Amino acid sequence: MAATLTTKAPAPPRKLLASRRTRAGVLYALPVVVYLLVLFVYPIFSTLFLSLKNANGSFTLHWYADALTGVNLSVLFTTLRISAETALFSLVFGFILANAISRLKPLWAALAMLIVVVPHFISALVRTYGWIILLGDKGLVNETLTGLRVPGAPFQLLYNELGVVIGTTSMMLPYTVLLLYGVMRGVDRRLLAAAASMGAGRVTIFRRIYLPMVAPGLASAGLLSFILSLGYYITPALMGGPKQTMIATLINQQVTKENQWNGAAAQGVILLLLTLAGLLLVKLVSSLGASRRKRSAS
Amino acid sequence: MMQPRSTIAGRIALTAIATVILLFLALPIAVILVTSFSNNAFAAFPPEAWTLNWYKALFADGSKWPTALTLSAFVACLSTVFSLIIGVTAATALTRGELPLRSAVYALVLGPLVIPQIVTALGLFLLFEPAAMLGSPLAIALGHTVLASPIAVLILIATLRGIDERLEDAAASMGAGRLTIARRVTFPLAAPGMIAAAIFSFITSFDEFYISQFLSSVDTVTLPVQVYNSLTFDIDPSVTAVSAILIAFAVLALGLVALVRWLGSGRQDSLLSVENTVGVTTPGGEAV
Repeated sequence: MAATLTTKAPAPPRKLLASRRTRAGVLYALPVVVYLLVLFVYPIFSTLFLSLKNANGSFTLHWYADALTGVNLSVLFTTLRISAETALFSLVFGFILANAISRLKPLWAALAMLIVVVPHFISALVRTYGWIILLGDKGLVNETLTGLRVPGAPFQLLYNELGVVIGTTSMMLPYTVLLLYGVMRGVDRRLLAAAASMGAGRVTIFRRIYLPMVAPGLASAGLLSFILSLGYYITPALMGGPKQTMIATLINQQVTKENQWNGAAAQGVILLLLTLAGLLLVKLVSSLGASRRKRSAS
Repeated sequence: MMQPRSTIAGRIALTAIATVILLFLALPIAVILVTSFSNNAFAAFPPEAWTLNWYKALFADGSKWPTALTLSAFVACLSTVFSLIIGVTAATALTRGELPLRSAVYALVLGPLVIPQIVTALGLFLLFEPAAMLGSPLAIALGHTVLASPIAVLILIATLRGIDERLEDAAASMGAGRLTIARRVTFPLAAPGMIAAAIFSFITSFDEFYISQFLSSVDTVTLPVQVYNSLTFDIDPSVTAVSAILIAFAVLALGLVALVRWLGSGRQDSLLSVENTVGVTTPGGEAV
């Protein structure tokens, strides 16, 4: 390349230069595109085809009918319910924590963010195991509650929905805190001060000024943790009981235990469609938020 | 701040709740570290007596852990190499080249990060099963690369964007060839980002569970799958020691990334220091 450049006229025509840059760009993009087309896009399409195929190879919607009836349907509803609960709790806790951190001095804020971010890089399997140790009948939580003479202690905190939601919420919290912290730092504090100077009370300022400004961030953080919970497997499988079977657990069972690939494929496609719908909503919310910001800025 | 005249009581309440939430995040990790040295690995916290038995049991005869650890490390190394090759080329294309359909390529790269991992794992199972590649470490590494390479691409895009292209132009104007520029200018400036990309690719593969579980066979069990199995099937108290090692490993890796970034942060600024004194802001290293 360098050699051809020097042998050519000192100032190569613009068009040629552009096309050379294009050629280089396409060449460099080739590995990632080919790799992901073969090992990511093609497998997803073959999953889709498998979910629409009968034993003899003809087209059928049988697997979807199967996935949307009886036990499978109730698993789907359980998945949606647990994901919604997780999204709600991680949103509320995330909001409180992000708000508290955004008021701290930089050093303390950095330390707090470290506690938020570092667990995210530790295997979810390991963190789930930590919860199992903590929440057991003789775990730290129950021992403390018994020691404090809390009536009813020890509680059943594992192998039920409470256990699953505690686990998944702690997995999703880093996402919501990070997202909301970013949004809160972007809030123009002068607007709050302006409202206060005009005599607005704290509740009014929070409700009429602060909340509308962070609302798009809240919506996308909640949606994101909902979407991420949908496909969750480790925590529900280890911390839940049979009533907390989620769709990912079912897919895994069908593949590894029952050799029922078509059914698993149909459930995978349903999970994929739910995720894509959620992502579309996130996009909608963020563009709505952007247009609102533009309006308020003008 | 947010509430101009917030009461002291309100501030104390908020701090208390925030502390509880931080504990909520930190406790599951702390409890494993403590329990791994406890004589009773399953219940009873805080421990009554201390022991190193679970760590010793890891390397006892007939233990499954060394094999699982070796396999995971091997797979993660392969996956890191693949991810770096894909990451460097893709980030170059997305930041330096003219690329038609740039946003489509970008969306393709982000895809594996937003699609449920179980769906990706199922697809890979359907791909490798007919090829009789189930249980092959290569297949697992190729699968992990689907998840690890997008992370490498994103980190390297941020790295390359943080490098002032004028430095490359300056080298070119002085007659340096493209290879020389890449080797002498871009690579040294991008090295911290490349190390970070390598570390994150390695962790992603090392901790990956879904794909490993679908692609593993009886003989090829990666460390996370072994941890999962010992939590569901056979009760093996040394799993606390493994978990503690995994935590230490992740913290070490993050510390390494921070160290490399800190060491590399001053480099470009010193090269552009003349402009900085004039007051022209240079694009700083973007955070990942």
